[in-house]
Amino acid sequence: MDIQFEKVSFEYQPNTPFAQKALWDIDLSVKSGSYTAIVGHTGSGKSTILQHLNALVKPTEGRVLIGEREILPTTNNKNLKPIRKKVGIVFQFPEAQLFDETVEKDISFGPMNFGISAEEAAKIAREMLALVGLPEEILHKSPFDLSGGQMRRVAIAGVLAMQPEVLVLDEPTAGLDPQGRKEMMEMFKELHEKHGMTIVLVTHLMDDVTSFADKVYVLEKGRIVKSGVPSEVFQNVEWLNEKHIGVPQAAAFAKKLERAGVQLERLPMTTEELVNAFFENRGEHI
Amino acid sequence: MMDKLILGRFIPGDSVIHRLDPRAKLIATFYFIMIIFLANNAITYGILTIFTLLAIFLSGLSFSFFLKGVRPMLFLILFTVLLQIFFTTGGKELFAIGPLKITEFGLVNAGFIFMRFVLIIFISTLMTLSTTPLSLSDALESILSPLNAIKFPVHEISLMLSIALRFVPTLMDETEKIMNAQRARGVDFSEGSLIQKMKAVVPLLIPLFVSSFKRAEDLSDAMEARGYQGGEGRTRYRKLDWAKRDSISIGAMALLTLFLFLFRR
Repeated sequence: MDIQFEKVSFEYQPNTPFAQKALWDIDLSVKSGSYTAIVGHTGSGKSTILQHLNALVKPTEGRVLIGEREILPTTNNKNLKPIRKKVGIVFQFPEAQLFDETVEKDISFGPMNFGISAEEAAKIAREMLALVGLPEEILHKSPFDLSGGQMRRVAIAGVLAMQPEVLVLDEPTAGLDPQGRKEMMEMFKELHEKHGMTIVLVTHLMDDVTSFADKVYVLEKGRIVKSGVPSEVFQNVEWLNEKHIGVPQAAAFAKKLERAGVQLERLPMTTEELVNAFFENRGEHI
Repeated sequence: MMDKLILGRFIPGDSVIHRLDPRAKLIATFYFIMIIFLANNAITYGILTIFTLLAIFLSGLSFSFFLKGVRPMLFLILFTVLLQIFFTTGGKELFAIGPLKITEFGLVNAGFIFMRFVLIIFISTLMTLSTTPLSLSDALESILSPLNAIKFPVHEISLMLSIALRFVPTLMDETEKIMNAQRARGVDFSEGSLIQKMKAVVPLLIPLFVSSFKRAEDLSDAMEARGYQGGEGRTRYRKLDWAKRDSISIGAMALLTLFLFLFRR
């Protein structure tokens, strides 16, 4: 399912003294089966864009196409549920949305809202728990008895249980330890590659962008300032620094090598590329 | 949803009214609400209206905010006004629909009640629009401080108040976020029967309670870690200072009272 933004602008609380414009003329497209990253400084409008992806907010100008559905400023709030089923959003710190008595009920909550029977939903809950790497015995525990990292996984399982076509992730690994972060990103990669899930990732970690995404949008103050293939966008290190975006570690290191006199053809984006480029440069291959 | 609520929000500005001592504003507002009941004829209501409009003008805030402040109360106002029109007897009878009679007194009374409502809302909106919540709670602590003599926990109450006020926007944000997260999982907050709507609130309220308690725990730990042990022996950073303009504003209230007494029937 494709998602297409056409000249989308958005203003919070329009026509009040607290009005605040957050997005200007956004053209963005999420192709079916793609892995799209959205990056930008804090307050650049990333989270606002996310809320457009499943019509939690409507644009104040322009239009958003979600699959077949067209969301205009005048669209009313009825019948948006089918969209919400197809586009699952994992918000920042999603553990804050847990509420039910048991993990099983909490994971089943989403599917049941979309009309799936309780037994079926319980079955899905079991599968999802395994998918996010949690043991089955916590199924009947209260979600509030779990550790922070486990709660995060349960919350993500709750979104995955709706079996969305598009999975939107708003800094899914914020506040996790390095191991948990790695596992979680691998899990999303697997969902993307094996199950063909379309993924939209909002992140501050440029290494995640270069290792996973196939397209990146760079936002600044509510506008898209650059978009394209990550390895292209991240070539210009000075530009990235100027925009306060951050540089992938491998690229930053390669930049240092360059200054020390090692000439590389292209700026490598991942550690793997860096190692390869380095040896190629010395005329060796591994 | 909450965006439309104007009453109780602060709009920064740099007018005379904004710079008034919050104690002066608090006292003047409460005093105004009391003396409004002194007005009982067109002249006294006229004086009060002119006074209110002058205060609004001095605040430099757009009049439309005040009209928006009245909007949520509109139903109550209309209800009261209609009751007054239909059920006040006396004076010349203008016309009657069955047992309901509209009398001259009824109309006049309804007009006065309407003015009373609008003026009270205008003045209290003016206070909240021009005063930061934090300085309001400082003002309350200062005004209540004589109650320390009867062992009333003024410091604790005002600390509670300032923490509560501090967390209103945070909790609003939190509510919005959790609502969005649950809507993304298929909850419909605005549709369905009353019972369905009430059920839909559970996934919102439970996470809110949990996070509020968690926040309270973290905050109290952080306060203790920074040496907080209660009100005894603490100094204060935010000091209120009473300037000439504050005395003038209280003087204006006294003058207003005098006028009301002179012109009331």
